[in-house]
Amino acid sequence: MPLTLLKSDKTIPEREKHTYIKAASENILPLSNVQTTPGDFTERGCTYAGCMGVVCGPIKDVIHLVHGPIGCAYWTWGGGTRQNLSDNPGFHRKYCFSTDMQEDDIIFGGEDKLYKSILEAHKEFPEAKGVFVYATCAIGLIGDDLNGVCKRAEQKIGIRVVPFNCEGFRGCSQSLGHHIANDTLFERVVGTKEPEYLTDFDMNIIGDYNIQGDLWKIKPLFERMGIRILSTFTGNASVDDIAQAHRAKLNLMHCQRSTPYICKLMEEKYGIPVLRASLFGIKQTSKALRDVAAFFGLEDKAEEIIEEEVSKVAPKIEEYRRKFEGKRVFIYQGAPRAWHWVNMFRELGIETIAAATTFGHEEDYAKICERVNDGVLVLDNPNSLELEEILIELKPDLFISGLKEKYLSYKLGVPFINGHSYENGPYAVYSGFLNFARDIEKALFTPVWGLIRRNRE
Amino acid sequence: MRNRSVTINPARMCQPIGAMYALFGVHAAVPLVHGSQGCAAYPMRMFNRHFGELVQVAVSSLGEDASVFGGKKNLIASIDNIIARRHPELIGVITTCLSETIGDDIDGIIREGNFKDSKVVPIHTPSYVGSHVTGYDNALKALVTNLSEESDSDNANDRLNIIPGMVNPGDVLEIKQMLDSMSIAYTILSDISETLNAPLILPKPPFPSGGTSVSEIEDCANACGVISLCEHAGGSAAAFLKREYGMASDTICPIGVSNTDRFLDSVCNMTGAEIPYSLEQERGRLIDAMVDVHMKTCGKRAAIFADPDIALALAEFVIELGIEPVIVSSSTASRKFLQKAKSVTDCCEILNGRDLYELQRAVKSNEVDILFGNTKCTPIAKDEDVAFVRCGFPVYDRVGYHRYGIMGYHGGVYLTDMITNAILEWEER
Repeated sequence: MPLTLLKSDKTIPEREKHTYIKAASENILPLSNVQTTPGDFTERGCTYAGCMGVVCGPIKDVIHLVHGPIGCAYWTWGGGTRQNLSDNPGFHRKYCFSTDMQEDDIIFGGEDKLYKSILEAHKEFPEAKGVFVYATCAIGLIGDDLNGVCKRAEQKIGIRVVPFNCEGFRGCSQSLGHHIANDTLFERVVGTKEPEYLTDFDMNIIGDYNIQGDLWKIKPLFERMGIRILSTFTGNASVDDIAQAHRAKLNLMHCQRSTPYICKLMEEKYGIPVLRASLFGIKQTSKALRDVAAFFGLEDKAEEIIEEEVSKVAPKIEEYRRKFEGKRVFIYQGAPRAWHWVNMFRELGIETIAAATTFGHEEDYAKICERVNDGVLVLDNPNSLELEEILIELKPDLFISGLKEKYLSYKLGVPFINGHSYENGPYAVYSGFLNFARDIEKALFTPVWGLIRRNRE
Repeated sequence: MRNRSVTINPARMCQPIGAMYALFGVHAAVPLVHGSQGCAAYPMRMFNRHFGELVQVAVSSLGEDASVFGGKKNLIASIDNIIARRHPELIGVITTCLSETIGDDIDGIIREGNFKDSKVVPIHTPSYVGSHVTGYDNALKALVTNLSEESDSDNANDRLNIIPGMVNPGDVLEIKQMLDSMSIAYTILSDISETLNAPLILPKPPFPSGGTSVSEIEDCANACGVISLCEHAGGSAAAFLKREYGMASDTICPIGVSNTDRFLDSVCNMTGAEIPYSLEQERGRLIDAMVDVHMKTCGKRAAIFADPDIALALAEFVIELGIEPVIVSSSTASRKFLQKAKSVTDCCEILNGRDLYELQRAVKSNEVDILFGNTKCTPIAKDEDVAFVRCGFPVYDRVGYHRYGIMGYHGGVYLTDMITNAILEWEER
């Protein structure tokens, strides 16, 4: 019985295919990347969220103009709940742009309004290096010629105006939005600028969004090794950085769900090899540094850095491990962190008892299953009722997920960490690992858990 | 640029989130968004951030197929699944720009579906019309229109209907406490005071306790009167109740001394109750608090941004504190707001549904001392170096604002202190 049906799913038996209890003897993966069961209280978002919210939003020096009714722009303003920081806070995440489509615009079309909006936004913020235009649901239906308008506006204002056809109803989750963002940025931006100079040690970091400053911890490790980070995709990125990404010698891919597309395209067109990495926890970070060093022939330097960094954090991590030993965690993330973090938790003495993703594909589940023990519940696109059942029935000591699930966990008295936008991060690489462990300690041992009372039944 | 096409830093959200707000105040109700998944996921996070509470919203997950062939199949499956798995008392079907543009006949689908066990109410909230305020108004109107039932006996009961609008649980509590002290029976349409400020006691109930029950909404037809606290968010439901059942109707946003006086007068007129001494004392405490701080408040110049009714009531209250409202800005454009704003004060700049980029321009050019607004106004307060009072929805860069009310005399004390402390902190900066 590898596939199983949770109690809360009795009346929606199609959920059984998404619910797998891992057994080593089998070669089974939960069904993934398909349409959500309608009305099942999914935690998924839309294609616009994947494109604008996740991949493009972190780009710090373009006007992100949302073409549609007002809500879609409002939700992603300032990154929404995402903490994709940049060093341009006077502009990036501070301003929110929308065409604010009204009923008449829906009836008669919004092309004029969009054209004027692009020109006006550019006039107010002439220092912005481009305008990215995002189509939302209604736009796809009324058939505005986004590409045509953007082309006209680009000719008029003389900076790049890039349309993203990322209507929310496309696809089955945020995932298609990542793909659309990758394809569009590759077609319209990558390769449009040449770097001032090249070195033999130019590398791109692809698929890191600088959540609470992750990249500001990641980048220096490679720079100390002698590597130049030519471009980051897209945390703290200037659109010009992405434009020159095609000249790198290597693409280091961190988020392997939202960016494999652009890595593949760059490999095909520019011959840039891809190295996949996990930059969470001591072992995985050290492995990433060694892999990159081996590619560039910088092994000695890497070993020096690893030794220095590990010696700084290892004793403290060991202390934490002794405190956490035997605890059990339920990991529910967008996709890759569900498997990135299995090993990181293991370094802290915490075993994963259930792992789920919102928009994972088969390869994400394969990676989860490679890493977790037999008997672990592996779940695709869980809904709110399933999450509640798992938290009650499997009684994890810790739940790591996103904001929407945070208060479910709290209301059930289960310690929780926000793995999407972090609590007190950054969580990446060595120093971030200490933040992560410290936050786990707070979550597990805060005295308030002991004060909760039960109703007499 | 006064007549921009582009909106920069929007002042408002779209209709569906307002409808969710209203449904969260109904006991064991499920909001079902008929649209894309983002239209449920994004607003949920806004509630999480403001209230620090679990909210559960279902979505019909319309995809490309549905956008071509219509969303009927998804809608019916959604309702069936929700009833089977959660047995709610009520499902509110909330439309979006997607389902409205496709043209799904949700009223027909719901009627034909003939769903048993749960009431299913269609709520039309196209995102390209109005704002979150309109969405709340439409949801309340849909609930009342679809559910209210006159009882057979022709004598009205002596209950009073209160439609709070998009206010905080703390505000609803203030209203309830005033009515309780007058021994008045009432129905709050709808009551978020417990559902969005829920206790942590195990085991977690399937739905939060509290909220207005479906039977209470049905019975609202038999009340002696209705008062909407925010005319733009609940006024349509009040107008329906007045028209359909002939009950007395009034609209007053009880922020500040005079507004609360008027609210209580109206309550007394409708119910025949009298104002108890305990409320006179509360009023006295508010006056006392205002006297204590008038040397700090008098002469200050305020910019007020909020939903229309709250912005107007706040303007009236700051005038009582000797503060001059130099900018009154409504999240949502409305002719009524414009007229009323002109009658509240004749020398201020009125922004009627303009974006916050425009608000910032106005703050820059009006020598403002103190700004009232939600979290989206925080950068304006910092950039322009003015005192800042957080109010409205959403407030998520500080905690706890949902817990405390600014309505009524007691809420007025809290607001007075907040205003004064904001001024003191600003002066000490």
